[in-house]
Amino acid sequence: MKDKATKQPKKPEQDAGKQRVIIRTIGMKKEYNRGGEITQALRGVDVELYTGEFIVVMGPSGSGKSTFFNMIGALDSPSHGRVFIDEVDVAQLTAEELAFLRCRKIGYIFQSYNLIQYMTALENVTTPMAFGGVDPDQARKRGMDLLELVGLGDRWFHRPIEMSGGQQQRVAIARSLANQPSVLLCDEPTANLDHHTGDEILAILQKLNTERGVTIICATHDHRMMNVCDRLLWIRDGAIERIARRDEVEVELGSID
Amino acid sequence: MKEIDVREQPLLSFAKTTRIALAGVKYRLFRSIVTVAVIAVAMAFLMNILSESLIKKAVALSAREGIEELHRTDKWIAKLSVPQSYAELIAALAAPDGFSKDRNMLELDELDPDQQARIQRLAGQAAVYLTFFDELNYGRRRVLVGSAASTRILDLLQDETRRKRLTEALRNMRSVRFPGDPEAFSAFLDEWPALRDYLGTVRENQRVAIQSVQDALNQRTMLTAMQQADGPFGERIRRAGFDLSEAEATSLTAQAMAVADNNLIADTINRPELRQAVAARYDVLPGDVSIDQIWSMLAKPNSASWYIERMREVPLPLPERLTTDRLTDLSNARAESKLYLKAERLTTEAGGGFMGIGERMTWLAFVSMLVCVVGIANAMLMSVTERFREIATLKCLGALDGFIMTVFLIEASVLGLVGGVVGTLLGLALCLTRMFSIFHSLVSRSFPLNEIVLAALLSIAAGVILAAVAAVYPSFRAARLAPMEAMRIE
Repeated sequence: MKDKATKQPKKPEQDAGKQRVIIRTIGMKKEYNRGGEITQALRGVDVELYTGEFIVVMGPSGSGKSTFFNMIGALDSPSHGRVFIDEVDVAQLTAEELAFLRCRKIGYIFQSYNLIQYMTALENVTTPMAFGGVDPDQARKRGMDLLELVGLGDRWFHRPIEMSGGQQQRVAIARSLANQPSVLLCDEPTANLDHHTGDEILAILQKLNTERGVTIICATHDHRMMNVCDRLLWIRDGAIERIARRDEVEVELGSID
Repeated sequence: MKEIDVREQPLLSFAKTTRIALAGVKYRLFRSIVTVAVIAVAMAFLMNILSESLIKKAVALSAREGIEELHRTDKWIAKLSVPQSYAELIAALAAPDGFSKDRNMLELDELDPDQQARIQRLAGQAAVYLTFFDELNYGRRRVLVGSAASTRILDLLQDETRRKRLTEALRNMRSVRFPGDPEAFSAFLDEWPALRDYLGTVRENQRVAIQSVQDALNQRTMLTAMQQADGPFGERIRRAGFDLSEAEATSLTAQAMAVADNNLIADTINRPELRQAVAARYDVLPGDVSIDQIWSMLAKPNSASWYIERMREVPLPLPERLTTDRLTDLSNARAESKLYLKAERLTTEAGGGFMGIGERMTWLAFVSMLVCVVGIANAMLMSVTERFREIATLKCLGALDGFIMTVFLIEASVLGLVGGVVGTLLGLALCLTRMFSIFHSLVSRSFPLNEIVLAALLSIAAGVILAAVAAVYPSFRAARLAPMEAMRIE
């Protein structure tokens, strides 16, 4: 397995010394059984992602990109193979431990924001802290700080329905950071937003990555993402097609242009 | 490999969970109201059935008492006219306080306690056997005892061959359940002549006593004589050996007077002058004047006094006591006795079944519960299904399965509580309106407050419990889903 991983053509070897692996998949496969017909969504994915990286996952719809995402986010379990998040084998975890993992280790950002409709922005942000057992007063303080961070400090009492898409996504980002996760998983974070708002969200993500060192894994069709990422990962037909560092890709893009 | 620093999640406090559940209810207010309405309707139905049946039961009881009261005079007139039959005497003796009444009539002074106990035991047995023969259908009865009835059966069975035939026939009739075994019956039959002789003496004593009372009538009717039940005539009855207490004598007098006055008023309709006067007053044809109309007219004091004047004009020999007030009272008493009869007629189903609400009503209540469970389960299932995304999101944020289930159970219980309270009040209000419009004052006079409160608590509890039970499966399903599966289902 290790051999196979090293066979991957573009591995950032120069950073390998100071960065440690945050997500590792070994022979990860996923099959869906729909009415007796077995569909292979993932056909064996081996990948290592490091702390502090900004990774963009690209691929056409139906490529297994979302499935890949759910696997490394501990939202679904693989049919074969193993997934390690922060060196913990996800398959070994009980329901309670999975909840703990989702609560502290991973932050999720969805295409459709998925805010809890009946909670205010602040309540949305503090809910994961409540699940994690943080003292309410401290949670409120931290929640306000996070909302300030995404530029919504003055709108903490608004409900999702009273906010624009960009604002909702910013609340979602604040919420995903609630318990200082090691990884931020973003599933098409800018797809539902206009160009300008998308830029703002990108700026926030980039700021989080560079200033706070948050690992960001981002599935997207948005080519602007390429300008801010460290590595790119292409998925096609349920397998990794290519992994490349940005500088390498930029050269290609430049030649195409 | 690095050591696993994954620990278990703490469970959120109940207060916090409740707050989140309530926030959800508030946000989906319309949907919640619909669910509450489903529960409320079901609980209103249950409460309505329960409370109506309970009120009917209470009304039936007081109506029966009232009717018994109404028949007091009739009972005494019967008692003072003919000796009681063997069957009546047996029934009276078999009652728990069989020996307490009409003591000298039963020759108790001459019976020692052993004999007394024996007679009572025999009477008890006789009552059971007579009820058995009484309740047989015609064909079976014909086969078993021929055309004989009541105590005559016991007389006939003194004959050995008949007794054998009966035992034989009973053995062949599989579906008939004879009370006790045939040997005991046979032993009883051997002792029956003793009981019969005793009852015969009692009857003879009664006959003598009745004769002495009848002698005191002096050409009066029994009803007229009864009007002095609290005076010399009552004394005479007591001396003859009947058990007539002071209180009973007083009420007997009052009732006899009322009956006499009622008859007098009822007779006035046969007087053409009065009939015409009433017809003119109400602008109807004389032929259309009914006794009910006259009575309802007498309920109003000014009409009553007008009618007394008319009666004096005829002239009718009116007793001194027949004043305006008396007439109004009589009219009210008559309305009341009609109410008793109506109540008795409408409450034949009361009693039996769950909490005494009647067999049919128990069944209805049970079916309504089933409908309610299905309705609530449907509402909860919808509520859970349309919130899969929210559940998945909460699980992504680290919510435990237990938390998600608790949220839904709390939500269901709150909806159940609100629905239960609203439904119970609604059902009770409907029931009271209906019952008051049918039974009027009878309801408030015999209101079963404790039982109604119990029924209310019961149906509120039923609302909460049913809602919680109906929510268990959907919430269990929702909680067990993997987050992404839940999102995909949408």
